[in-house]
Amino acid sequence: MMIPQSHFLILGAVLFALGLYGALTRRTAIGILMSIELVLNAANINLITFNRFLGSPDGLGQIFALFVIAIAAASAVVGLVLVIAVYRNMKTIFTDKINLMKW
Amino acid sequence: MVKYAHLIPLFPFIAFAINILFGRRLKKASAVISITASTISLAIAAVTYAGFLKGGGSYAVGRWLSFGGIPLDFGVTVDGLSCMMLMVVTIVGTLIQVYSVGYMHDDKRFSRFFAYLSLFMGSMLGLLLSDNFVMLYIFWEGVGLCSYLLISFWFERPAAAKAGMKAFITTRIGDTGLLIGILLLFFSAKTLYFRDLGHLGINDALLTVIALLIFCGAVGKSAQFPLHVWLPDAMEGPTPVSALIHAATMVAAGVYLVARTYGLFIAHHGALIWVAYIGAITALMAATIATVNNDIKRILAYSTISQLGLMMLALGVGGYEGGTFHLMTHAFFKALLFLCAGSVIHAVHTQDIFKMGGLLGKMKVTGWTFIIGSLAIAGVPPLSGFWSKDEMLSEILREGHPFLFAIAVITSLLTAFYMFRLIFVVLFGKPRSELHAHESPAVMTIPLAVLAVFSVFAGFFKPVKVEYFMLGVSMFIVIGGIGTAYVFYILGNKVLPASVRSKFSFLYKIILNKYYIDEIYEAALIRPCMSLAKFAASFDLRFVDGAVNLTAYLSMIAGRIQSWFDKYIVDGAVNMVANITWLCSAVFRRLQTGFIQNYILIAFLGLAIMILIKLIGGY
Amino acid sequence: MNGLIQTLSDILNNYGLRQEFAIRACFYSLAVLACIFGLGVVTLRNIFHCAISLAMTLFCIAGIYLFLNAEFLAAVQVLIYVGAIVTLFLFAIMLTAKIGDRSIRQTNKQVLASLAVSAAILSLFVSIIIGSPWKKAAADDTLRLGIGELGKALMSVYALPFEAISLILLAALVGAIVIGKAGK
Repeated sequence: MMIPQSHFLILGAVLFALGLYGALTRRTAIGILMSIELVLNAANINLITFNRFLGSPDGLGQIFALFVIAIAAASAVVGLVLVIAVYRNMKTIFTDKINLMKW
Repeated sequence: MVKYAHLIPLFPFIAFAINILFGRRLKKASAVISITASTISLAIAAVTYAGFLKGGGSYAVGRWLSFGGIPLDFGVTVDGLSCMMLMVVTIVGTLIQVYSVGYMHDDKRFSRFFAYLSLFMGSMLGLLLSDNFVMLYIFWEGVGLCSYLLISFWFERPAAAKAGMKAFITTRIGDTGLLIGILLLFFSAKTLYFRDLGHLGINDALLTVIALLIFCGAVGKSAQFPLHVWLPDAMEGPTPVSALIHAATMVAAGVYLVARTYGLFIAHHGALIWVAYIGAITALMAATIATVNNDIKRILAYSTISQLGLMMLALGVGGYEGGTFHLMTHAFFKALLFLCAGSVIHAVHTQDIFKMGGLLGKMKVTGWTFIIGSLAIAGVPPLSGFWSKDEMLSEILREGHPFLFAIAVITSLLTAFYMFRLIFVVLFGKPRSELHAHESPAVMTIPLAVLAVFSVFAGFFKPVKVEYFMLGVSMFIVIGGIGTAYVFYILGNKVLPASVRSKFSFLYKIILNKYYIDEIYEAALIRPCMSLAKFAASFDLRFVDGAVNLTAYLSMIAGRIQSWFDKYIVDGAVNMVANITWLCSAVFRRLQTGFIQNYILIAFLGLAIMILIKLIGGY
Repeated sequence: MNGLIQTLSDILNNYGLRQEFAIRACFYSLAVLACIFGLGVVTLRNIFHCAISLAMTLFCIAGIYLFLNAEFLAAVQVLIYVGAIVTLFLFAIMLTAKIGDRSIRQTNKQVLASLAVSAAILSLFVSIIIGSPWKKAAADDTLRLGIGELGKALMSVYALPFEAISLILLAALVGAIVIGKAGK
């Protein structure tokens, strides 16, 4: 293996930082959800990297990554449905406009 | 059977309690309760009387009070005087209550009226049975209270309310004298029992003062000169009240008091002669006023005052028998006369006798009983008034008071005159105005008839020896009085009274204005009192109120200081805590933006810091 | 190394490039592309472009998975992420936001702070990663997890989490239908 482990991890860290930045700055719920997908992918990269380099015989890391993908799909579905429902009621997708239950 | 006498006042009191508590629900049934109670009292009184005739006497029910070691029993007096008065009060009271059912039938405070009547009956009977001054004084005030309540029973009428107050205040003057007398007696002689009055063993001057003070109470209650002014005004009350309280019973309480404490008076002629002269003045004065008054009830009221004066006169000269005898007979016929007057008023709705006339044809029972009562009071033999008046006159003469005898004769003459003036004007002649008179219902006429019977025959209860001189005097009085009235008001009709009136216009004016006594009181007592009260009020306003206001002002300043302290120190401390909290919250509130991304930012900032610390601190 | 990369390196060898260099070039170019598209996801104004950029990022990450001997996951990444989730995002965007409305500000007021925090986190992570003593080579380069092995592991050792995930997916499905049902 000619590519060192740390490079994979740095890629994961960069994607994580990008996702974090997006989640912190995006005004729309959809944008936030997309940023979170980035974060999840960064985590997946890390999981698979460690699985590869630490050598797990039954593929623990990959299976975890699989689970993460499944949960990401579920969260995306639910999140997007919520966005649509909120949009239907409030006619906006901006999170700072959705303040009906805030004081 | 004397030993049940103390139960006599109990039943009216029970009736009073029931009527005053449940009157609203009982409505007309309250009359039944009151009359039943009175009838029971009447029965017990009759039993007591029978027991007395068999030899019963006073007894004590039990120990009641102890004043500074001097015991006082709750006792009842059973003697000739009290038995006689018990019978009179229960009979007259019961009949008047029956009469009231008719007279008050559409009054809105019907049950209240009967409650008061029962309270009065109980108090009056208790007064008669008292064997000591304390009980007597309590019941004395009780009847005074009932008098006040019943005079101003129709308190919606200002005149009635005023008359009630006048009666209460005027009698109060006498009552105060009575109270002082009782206290003096207690502190000097250490006794309050009537039975000890004959042998007190204290000096004469003090006893005279005590006797006169007790007589003060009698003067007030029996409307004697100079405290007689309340009784004519008391006629503002319902007529049954006038009959019961202000003719037959309560006003007689004064005479009864003198008779009851006679032992005190008889030992000291200095006091007794006052009684005689006060009585004489009252009798003559009231009789003259009665001759010119036009109000049917006021004529009877002045007649009552006059007759009570005669009784006082008789008692004052030592005529105990005659005075008390007249007390009884007078109760019957004066009650009868008042009830007749009430019946007339009930029929014609006016009290002015010169608006009536010719009523005998329309109101047979009332008319004839009225005539019987008038004959009785005029002293026509053999009606009851003749016997008692005859005895009084003979006693006055026998005790050697020709001047007082003359006054008594003149008074009796005037009595016959004004009573038949009333009779002739009201019952005979032609109707003087449009009146639709009708006979009163049976519930009112039956008591009249019963009382008429008593008025006729009450004189025979006491065997009196007929003196021919006195019979002659009486006949002179009767014929003179009635004849003059006949000449004036039947034959002369309007001409003669008017000419006499114009001839003695000065005298007439004085009498018509009741000797200006009310005006004199107004000028001599009420106005000084009022101006004193006003002065006191202004003193109160300036000085007392000033002091109060000063205190108030000072406390206000203290309050201001305290409020300042409260506001800026105490509240300041509280507000400071609040403000600090507010400031802190104003700062930290910024953290709680309610903006999730902000929270995430902070969280990751924290994460970064923690990692940094971990890195710097090493593994 | 799998066959695809082998083939790719063979081709590169034919052009006189060394296999190792070729593999490295592939990896770093994919990594840089993933980062660039990732930056596009979080910075582009048009949200539709963001979604497309996300799809590209995910593609690149799928490529990265190949370098980690995870062919199945790479396939799953493409199928599920690019094929399903990004499509879902596109649908959601088209149902809600107005496409091409550039005038709408897409970022909130804490851009600078977020940038600082993200940069700090990144620098910390990188410094930790660089400072850590990693193994130079893989434990067992020959260890290869095929689809069969993964399937067996899922159905035996990880059966319970697998069932839990299926339950979560069912719940998400039902929830999405219930919430997304129009009106009442």
